[in-house]
Amino acid sequence: MTESDEARRARVHAVLGAARRIASAHDPLGREARARLPDVTSLSREGVELALTEHLESEADDASIDALLAACGRAPRCHVVLSANVCVAAVRALALALATSPVVLVRPSRRDPVVAELLARALAESGELARAAGSVTLAPALDPAAGDEVHVYGRDETVAAIGASLPAGVVLRAHGAGFGVAVVGASSSLEGAAAALARDVVPFDQRGCLSPRIALVEGDPPRALRFAAALDGALAALGARVPRGGLNEDEHAAIAAYRATLEAVGVVHAGSGHIVGVDPSARALVLPPTGRVVHVVAASPAAASAMVAPLARFVTTLGADDDGSLVSALAHAAPPRAARGARGDAAPAAGRAGGPPQRIAEPSLAPRGLL
Amino acid sequence: MDPVAASEALHARVRAFVEGSMRGGAPEPFDALALDLARFQAAHVAPFARLLAARGVDLDTARSAEAIPAVPCDVLRLARVAAHPPELDAVVFRTSGTSRGALARGEHAMRTTATYSAAALAWGRAWLFPDRARMQVVVLAPTVAEAPDSSLGFMLDDFARALGGEATWHVVGGTLDVAGVARACARAREEGAPALVLGTSFAFVHLLDAAGTHDFALPEGSRVMQTGGFKGRSRVVAADELRRAIAAAFRVPEASVVAEYGMTELSSQLYEGTFARAGEHAGVYLAPPWMRVAAVDPVTLAARPLGEEGIARFVDLANVDSAVAIQTADRVRVHPPRGVESARVELLGRAPGAAPRGCSIAIDEMLGGAGAA
Repeated sequence: MTESDEARRARVHAVLGAARRIASAHDPLGREARARLPDVTSLSREGVELALTEHLESEADDASIDALLAACGRAPRCHVVLSANVCVAAVRALALALATSPVVLVRPSRRDPVVAELLARALAESGELARAAGSVTLAPALDPAAGDEVHVYGRDETVAAIGASLPAGVVLRAHGAGFGVAVVGASSSLEGAAAALARDVVPFDQRGCLSPRIALVEGDPPRALRFAAALDGALAALGARVPRGGLNEDEHAAIAAYRATLEAVGVVHAGSGHIVGVDPSARALVLPPTGRVVHVVAASPAAASAMVAPLARFVTTLGADDDGSLVSALAHAAPPRAARGARGDAAPAAGRAGGPPQRIAEPSLAPRGLL
Repeated sequence: MDPVAASEALHARVRAFVEGSMRGGAPEPFDALALDLARFQAAHVAPFARLLAARGVDLDTARSAEAIPAVPCDVLRLARVAAHPPELDAVVFRTSGTSRGALARGEHAMRTTATYSAAALAWGRAWLFPDRARMQVVVLAPTVAEAPDSSLGFMLDDFARALGGEATWHVVGGTLDVAGVARACARAREEGAPALVLGTSFAFVHLLDAAGTHDFALPEGSRVMQTGGFKGRSRVVAADELRRAIAAAFRVPEASVVAEYGMTELSSQLYEGTFARAGEHAGVYLAPPWMRVAAVDPVTLAARPLGEEGIARFVDLANVDSAVAIQTADRVRVHPPRGVESARVELLGRAPGAAPRGCSIAIDEMLGGAGAA
């Protein structure tokens, strides 16, 4: 291991230390996060607590950090553009950036700058990052030079606009939008799979790019209907502890449209803070809106592959609790952009500035629950 | 009564309604016919029956077409919405393979096209060729033989045959024959008789972009119908800019460039009234008497008062064998009629859908932001 890798590792550890402060309800930064995030994220207070305590990545073992370091490039400076992302995503973004470069300039999301600001403050206060020769600066403008890396988190149009504006020689790494697909295999327990899926739907009110929005149930239509009923119960139970936050008018409208469609196509389970729609004999998939809305279909491996294939490039993750024929077929038809079963917020892609971002495969950054 | 006989009887009533309303008096009330269509569909169209059950709607006690729950357009993509089995399909119209290319195409199966043709011709004649029984027709679209599942192509073919003159089709194998359009225009100039040009917005953009030195000037009295969005098939041009450019290219007044609003899920169309009626404005579309349009609240789906913005809900009597009420995501304002039309409709674009506040993808983003019409 080279000296520079030690420094990179130390900088990643500094980010994790800062994240732990924000995760703690007893730390002033953690209290500030809890005070500010409900307004900017529209999550309920319980939803914010869930995000900070269970989904803010603050621990990693050596192997995970080794994988992260191996996945990152090297650059004299790394610029990070955070936008339209889940609130805790800034941790991973800063870890990736500081693994890339000791000098990191961050442009936080105007809508949700909280965690980025608190991380920067925590890093400045601890001195740990400075001892590792690193720095994180909040920068309102993007001003990269040749050799720098720019990490953009946002929608495809944001990525394209920034990519087109970069000078030659700047490396662009784009982390775009997407959604997750859950697979309930033939041997899966329906109750267990429903509970597990509910645990992945509720965080961030399903607004993460790994959040599952479609569940494919291997087997006949009655099995999909039973799974949907179980999922309805699981979401209701979890929603009682972690209520859904506020929805804006467009979100309400999108949910109403989805509900009306599924009322005609199949069966709808409507809870006070969630919707489960079932298309028991699907000939195509519909992508439901976010806000704890799950679209359930019965599928054979062949049919599922055909239905998912048109959406494949948007699928960030396949979540499954078995290695049956359905998940195998889907992994072939729609290889996920992020790790299968991974949790977090990365859909890595990269390219060099001077043209449209060229998406290339990167190794998975971390196993489930870690960086 | 068996379903086909019941369907035939309803088709006959709807065609009588179309003919009667264009002559100044429909033979029966709109609501009564709409509700009879809905009752027929409740018995024979499974998705509509499920929707009724989910909403707890009792059509037997309903007195107004407003009580009929509207079937969202997406349903025609996910399920068969037809009162007859596939083996009785005369034609299946399908939604564009481009705007929803990432997903399955919507399907509108028809057991008979007689009512579709009657409605399309009656309203098209009113706003595009009220003054001519015969015209040369220049079509910037593929033939029905090349695109048999296009409802637009079917309608344009109806128009061309009804007008009885020479009709030429200028999209072959997906390519617009610009020189052929110029030759057709030259023929119209030689004959000195007005021509009707029909096409999609993106075809007109391609034509204008490739015009070069071609002369598309048409004789006085000619008119142009354009329809649809761009759907990723050409650069996007603002509606007023495209109208001006088309008018300039064909040397017709801007008022003679008429936009049509139609969709695969409907059997009736709306037109701007700028050509046929003085004082009409571009961007305001006139609905036929056999169609009702309401702007509804996107969350509650309840109708909003005239003049208020909402998403368009259509009750289209010509949808005999599918869904008489259709819910779209197109934002509209509905205004009172001034004449034979049932409503005047401002199109305000497609409802944007919910742009997720996290990094989850929005359906519109996945579809490239394409419009639905």
